[in-house]
Amino acid sequence: MKIKSSGSSVPDVDMTPMIDIVFQLIAFFMVITNFEQQQADERVSLPKDQLAKPPTVKRENALTLNLGFEKNKEGEITDPTPYIFFAGGEKLTVGNCDRKLREEAQFYQTIGVKLADVTVEIRADAGVDSGLVQTLIQKCQERGIEFQRFALKATQKVM
Amino acid sequence: MKLRTRNPDGDKIEMQMSSMIDVVFQLLIFFMLTLKIIEPEGDFDINMPLGAPAQSSVEPDLPPLKVRMIADANGQLAQLTFNGRDMGRGDEAFQRLNLEVLKSVNALSAAGPGTVDKQEVEIDPDYALDYSNIIAAIGACSGKMENKKMIRYISRIKFAPIRAEE
Repeated sequence: MKIKSSGSSVPDVDMTPMIDIVFQLIAFFMVITNFEQQQADERVSLPKDQLAKPPTVKRENALTLNLGFEKNKEGEITDPTPYIFFAGGEKLTVGNCDRKLREEAQFYQTIGVKLADVTVEIRADAGVDSGLVQTLIQKCQERGIEFQRFALKATQKVM
Repeated sequence: MKLRTRNPDGDKIEMQMSSMIDVVFQLLIFFMLTLKIIEPEGDFDINMPLGAPAQSSVEPDLPPLKVRMIADANGQLAQLTFNGRDMGRGDEAFQRLNLEVLKSVNALSAAGPGTVDKQEVEIDPDYALDYSNIIAAIGACSGKMENKKMIRYISRIKFAPIRAEE
């Protein structure tokens, strides 16, 4: 009687296909990951429009102003006054942002960029008052600040 | 004489694959965590003449098309008027606006080449009107999507002077 007496052995799993799959995944994520940080504040929920296409040629100099509401975790508005969210957690109302806008304008002049080449991209929440956006544009055109090009941002609505 | 240990070419050289798998998993997890899905954003260019209307570059016989939007108590659109003609309210108002702009554009292109490019639209909203209506109005004046391609109507958009907050 031939008894199979080989001890319990761990079956040999060939790992090669798994490594191939993992390489595929890594290549996918490496291509998808975009390390460039766009100044898009998540608190601002932009209005949607069908015609809002991302510009085909990327703008060289863009100042992004995020105008939105403070929201809680559920997405409800906690403060009825909209603020412009700046980097570093700073937030200012449209009425108070003159100094900050002047600093931004002076920054561009310091680095030698003409203000005529800078586009101010306004990312405003869908529920912000229109007059407030107009006021902001007007402020950016005031003497001492003098931005000249503006763009209003919206997400693309897919029909 | 001790011959060299047999190592015929048929034998494979054994490599430890487990370490490589560990490193590869580390990389994978890194990329998975740094992935951030951002919704694509588009924008509309605004042509804002600096300062007073006296400085504007509007052609004297090409008056801007005026879009007036009146807000109700909640900031929603109560009435949309295009060059004085009532377009109503809601989404239909913007669709009607789109058709009216198309009619104007066709009339302008019949008037002469290049006229359409110089035509401006002036958007005049109530202060308290929700901003989403501005974008909808600009979209309705800018063009139309047909078969995933955009047909451009008016390219110059500007704002009327700000209406005081009530």
